[in-house]
Amino acid sequence: MDAPETVICRLTVNGDRMECAVTPGTTLLEALRYGLGLTGSKQGCDKGDCGACTVLVDGHPVLACISLVLAHEGRGIRTVEGLATKGIPHALQDAFDRTGGAQCGFCTPGVLMSACALLERNDAPTRHEIAEALSGNLCRCTGYTKIFEAVELAASEMRERA
Amino acid sequence: MSEAGNKSSADPKDAMAIPKGRVMPRPDRLSPPVWEGGRTAPPHGEFRTIGKRNRKVEGLAKVTGRAIYADDISLPRMLHAKLLRSIHAHARIIAIDASQALAIPGVHAVITGKDLPTYFGIIPWTEDEQALCEDKARYVGDAIAAVAADTEYLAEEALRRIKVEYQVLPIVHDIDTALAHPEWQVNEKASEGNLSKHVHLEFGPVDDLLGASDVVVEGDYWYEGNTHAPIEPHCCVAEFDATGLLTMWSSTQVAHYLHRDLAKVLGLPTQRVRVIQPVVGGAFGGKSEPFSLEFCAAKLSMLTGRPVKILYTREEVFYAHRGRHPMRMHYRTGITRDGKLTGTDARILIDGGAYSSFGLVTTYYSGQLLTAPYAMPAYRFDSTRVFTNKPCCGPKRGHGSVQPRFAFECQLDKMSEAIGLDPIEVRRRNFIGPDTSTVNGMRVTSNGFLDCLSAAERASAWKDKFRKLPYGRGVGVAGSMYISGTNYCIYPNEMPQSAVQLKLDRSGRATVFSGCSDIGQGVDSVLAYIVCEELGLELRDVRVLAADTDLTPVDLGSYSSRETFMVGNACLDAARHLREKIAETLAHVWGCGKGEVVLADGIACATSDPTRCVMSVKDAFQAAEARHGTLGSVGWYQSPQLGGDYRGGTIGASPAYSFTAHVAEVECDPETGIVHVKKIWVAHDCGRALSPVAVEGQMEGSAYMGFAEAILESGTYKPAAAGHPHGLHHGPNLLDYRLPTSLDTPELEALIIESVDPEGPYGAKEAGEGPLHPSVPAIANAIHDALGIRCDALPFSPPSVLRLLRASDARASWERARAGLQRDAVRA
Amino acid sequence: MPARHGNARAPGCSAMRCEPDVLTLPLYQWLRPTSIDEVLRVLAEHPGECLLVAGGTDAVPNMKHRLHEPRRVVSLGGVRDLHFVREDDAGLHLGPGLTLRELAEHPRVRESLPALARAASLVASPQIRNMGTLGGNLCLDTRCTYYNQTYFWREALGFCLKKDGLLCHVVPQGKRCVAAHSSDVAPMLIALGAQVEIASSTARRTIAVEDFFVGDGVHNNVLVPTEMVTKVWVPAASFGMEMAYQKLRPRGAIDFPMLSVAVAARREGDSIAMVRIVVSALGAKPRVIGQLDALAMGQIPDEALFERVGAVAHKQCHPLTNVPYDHEWRHEMVPVFVRRALRDAFGKA
Repeated sequence: MDAPETVICRLTVNGDRMECAVTPGTTLLEALRYGLGLTGSKQGCDKGDCGACTVLVDGHPVLACISLVLAHEGRGIRTVEGLATKGIPHALQDAFDRTGGAQCGFCTPGVLMSACALLERNDAPTRHEIAEALSGNLCRCTGYTKIFEAVELAASEMRERA
Repeated sequence: MSEAGNKSSADPKDAMAIPKGRVMPRPDRLSPPVWEGGRTAPPHGEFRTIGKRNRKVEGLAKVTGRAIYADDISLPRMLHAKLLRSIHAHARIIAIDASQALAIPGVHAVITGKDLPTYFGIIPWTEDEQALCEDKARYVGDAIAAVAADTEYLAEEALRRIKVEYQVLPIVHDIDTALAHPEWQVNEKASEGNLSKHVHLEFGPVDDLLGASDVVVEGDYWYEGNTHAPIEPHCCVAEFDATGLLTMWSSTQVAHYLHRDLAKVLGLPTQRVRVIQPVVGGAFGGKSEPFSLEFCAAKLSMLTGRPVKILYTREEVFYAHRGRHPMRMHYRTGITRDGKLTGTDARILIDGGAYSSFGLVTTYYSGQLLTAPYAMPAYRFDSTRVFTNKPCCGPKRGHGSVQPRFAFECQLDKMSEAIGLDPIEVRRRNFIGPDTSTVNGMRVTSNGFLDCLSAAERASAWKDKFRKLPYGRGVGVAGSMYISGTNYCIYPNEMPQSAVQLKLDRSGRATVFSGCSDIGQGVDSVLAYIVCEELGLELRDVRVLAADTDLTPVDLGSYSSRETFMVGNACLDAARHLREKIAETLAHVWGCGKGEVVLADGIACATSDPTRCVMSVKDAFQAAEARHGTLGSVGWYQSPQLGGDYRGGTIGASPAYSFTAHVAEVECDPETGIVHVKKIWVAHDCGRALSPVAVEGQMEGSAYMGFAEAILESGTYKPAAAGHPHGLHHGPNLLDYRLPTSLDTPELEALIIESVDPEGPYGAKEAGEGPLHPSVPAIANAIHDALGIRCDALPFSPPSVLRLLRASDARASWERARAGLQRDAVRA
Repeated sequence: MPARHGNARAPGCSAMRCEPDVLTLPLYQWLRPTSIDEVLRVLAEHPGECLLVAGGTDAVPNMKHRLHEPRRVVSLGGVRDLHFVREDDAGLHLGPGLTLRELAEHPRVRESLPALARAASLVASPQIRNMGTLGGNLCLDTRCTYYNQTYFWREALGFCLKKDGLLCHVVPQGKRCVAAHSSDVAPMLIALGAQVEIASSTARRTIAVEDFFVGDGVHNNVLVPTEMVTKVWVPAASFGMEMAYQKLRPRGAIDFPMLSVAVAARREGDSIAMVRIVVSALGAKPRVIGQLDALAMGQIPDEALFERVGAVAHKQCHPLTNVPYDHEWRHEMVPVFVRRALRDAFGKA
């Protein structure tokens, strides 16, 4: 059978320039998880229905499991591994930990990326705005309540710090 | 559990008699140590960690993406395996030819049913599954063969080249077909036809009491099947090494049972199998038994000498299933004019899918778990589980009892309406109370149900809303009970159900080793909190190492809401043993009484002279180690002998029961039938909230999941049509199977009630499953308050609500319900 | 290896080739042109072999399901001249490369064509709107409960008329695929009288969006394999019309429309001078409701009229079992959602 054509893909992930051998059929999620060892982004449905694979591309949340990696050369990719600064958790990460926003934790990396994009354009979102921003991220554990509380807590702390 | 097998079903006539040959619990059953002051009180006057809003031990690993789940594991030379699945719902396998698959370079091994012929099953009396079907496929998606290859792409290609010759058989697609066509036998292990299990139990003079009731309400209910859908799909990695040790990393919630079944099916000595549970991305009962992937990965690793990973696709997760059983239920319940329950008579038919899974227990639970929080003078249930050609149902959060609870709480609402009483008041009047026994012989100890009712009533402003909101809006109430673990292991033995080994290090660190299974509910953290509380440590100085069968003592796993109660108790005992040693040492050093020694916030001191008698906990550990030798301890939990004295009387017996009451508020659109659940007030008696954040999380998550089942989710199958037969899943993906998004989920308010159970660790009981139950009937009852219709079939989708509105004069019954409240009872 | 919270990661981070994920993609050649001309040249050189992929939110899942098995995937992400918003006297010219979020948030679109912004904002989820494009939504493959499934599921079904099989499972005797048109923006564009520019390497043509679609679910638009959409043009005449978009879906996000209604109307004085209603998620093309001129022209837009219009729409629309939600109920919802859209449009909500 035909072997898929392998090419080197150059990606900028969390500010780092990285290289990874891929085929044209490799998704961004596969490249991150299996090519670059960035296993923080998760795969839940593998076809764009659940949001566990959400990463930021040029600041906007996208679904890495249905993104073709070769279309992402030259773009700024941010994953959950890139949220903390020098090992200090991002305010969102800290808030999720304190409020119980992560139970099983599998949807959490994706939720965090959607929430991060939200807070970067709206530092005081209403609960409805949070729900809108996270409406593409399915959580099966929390009933979303503690996730909302976590985002609100992080937003208020980030406002205080700013 | 003491059950002779699924080949027999209890004879209605001698249901109360003890059958011959029943294995009675041994009188010398282990019992946990008794502590002075009991196990409910704080060890040092007041709680310092317990009951506080602490972080979870693995929380930061999860939020930073560092937590390692099964699919995050990658081993050198690892192969990827895929399963070939049946495209037929029911077909004999005549021949399998894998030669073309094996011919592909990069394909390393192909296995079929003949390679793993041993039957297994979570319940030892109903072992009716094979890792790969040997003779027959029983549902669309049943596994037939497995391929290990360099890549998944190659494995997939290889699957396409395996030729399977099938002989298609008639399909049993529902309960009626299963009963009408016993000759179309789905599962050859069934005693007869398509019967999986039949239970008939009767307690008290049901017919007499029904006959003497002022009101008898009769109703038919349908609970649609649905599934767990954890966001993490099942995944495992198997590595068989040169020494003959099989290591299995699996996203399981029952490492111990998986350990046993792997050894059995693979023909390995149990001591040469090691099961490790990595971080699990949600389970809800969907990962509580072994699955094809684990056996196949292990076998393929043994054949190839390389590690093998299998990751299920989302579609395969739907086929692995073990979700909520569809149940068709008929209830006849009676009540007196002054609101006292009389008799309850239930007939339940259960669609089990193709295999048994926990079905024997499910069938019992469908009846046994209904007998509190209300006193039932007489109760009869007759439950039958049948096999059908669909993915196997099993234990989903609230195993077996969510469906009958829905029916019964709706019955209660109808009866309350019939006698013109507030449904909360009727529930109060029938409260069974604490320290009592249910009609079916279950011991009830702590019981905070009345407080739950009051809390939900108050928080929801019930009195201002019930029968008072404008048409389209309404409130509904429901209650429930659930077990905190079962009193027996799934396979008969008298060993502890849970255990902890605790190691204290002279560095000042404690390490907890336990076989318990954290699936997101936070049991690892509970262990850490208990150790902190007992030994005065900071949370960061306790490490929990769990669910690794080589390193940790057995805990049966995360099911039946057993973890906090059982492993919590085991941990409390282990920690207390060491605390005693340290206190004894310090009493010796300081010349004070043992009772004066306090360990708190990293400091040890004597209350009599805290300025002189003080040192760090770390120094205290060292002093104790010098005096007693290396510091380690064990704790274990075994429940007391419980249960009714009749066949099946131990099933449903639990050392403690949790209680819940919900009020749901809905806003309905009579033009479309769309029901918007605005809010659910969730009041739950968890004994004591060891971790309020985790308890609230369980309450909110449970209520969410109940809401989802009530309104959105249904695991249905395509009707047969020209061109395709029965048996196709409606849409095995997360687009067609609709989990609620953040925009759909109602506001959830958790109201923790603490009844302080005498036997729970610090008084704790379960919180993970109980709070799901009332969501569904509370919403149904709220829809009635809003629209005047009775939603007796799930889900309450817009089409079904609209049909109900059309089918009757809903507005008139809505008016009647309002007028009827507090009027004299009218005999139905 | 540590049991749970340790760094249980074996080598592999330096990565050789990425192992394919669980739902693999077919083998294809990857092309990334940077201009429209280059895209058209590729299409002309390899007619019938190319799949154009912009956001990939429809194409990639479909490829994973082996619904599309192209020899070549042409990525449009680098084609800058597909990405624009221009306004002139003729109206608003929208590049098909605009993401749905950009369309929904664009100030000119929100101001002059609020219902189009609304339709775009109701597509799926925030992530999908960040990825998916106007052109992609317009050219969205038709959807059917018997089609948008894995290869395995479709094999168990015995495949269907649209892909790999001979039989339609929605209309058993049917010879024509009835998979549902599921775009959110298309019905609104039709209601607004928008036009679409189509180019090949040899020609360019502009047609009404209404005429862009054909009633064949296998391929429900007029594009031939050498063509692509290069512009969407909404005429200035539609600015300031009374307009609304109503979408019926089981959840507040993610879902495709189970039914969609787009309304655009013009008022003269108190009465209606023009009204167009488009209903979709029925069959392969959006349905423009007929007989409205006779019914609504010169009428006062009130409840009684909305009621009559709804009844007409109910007669003309026939939801099928292609969309995975009760078709009889969806039929009943046609007049309800038509009335709601009319109320929205005429500010009577």
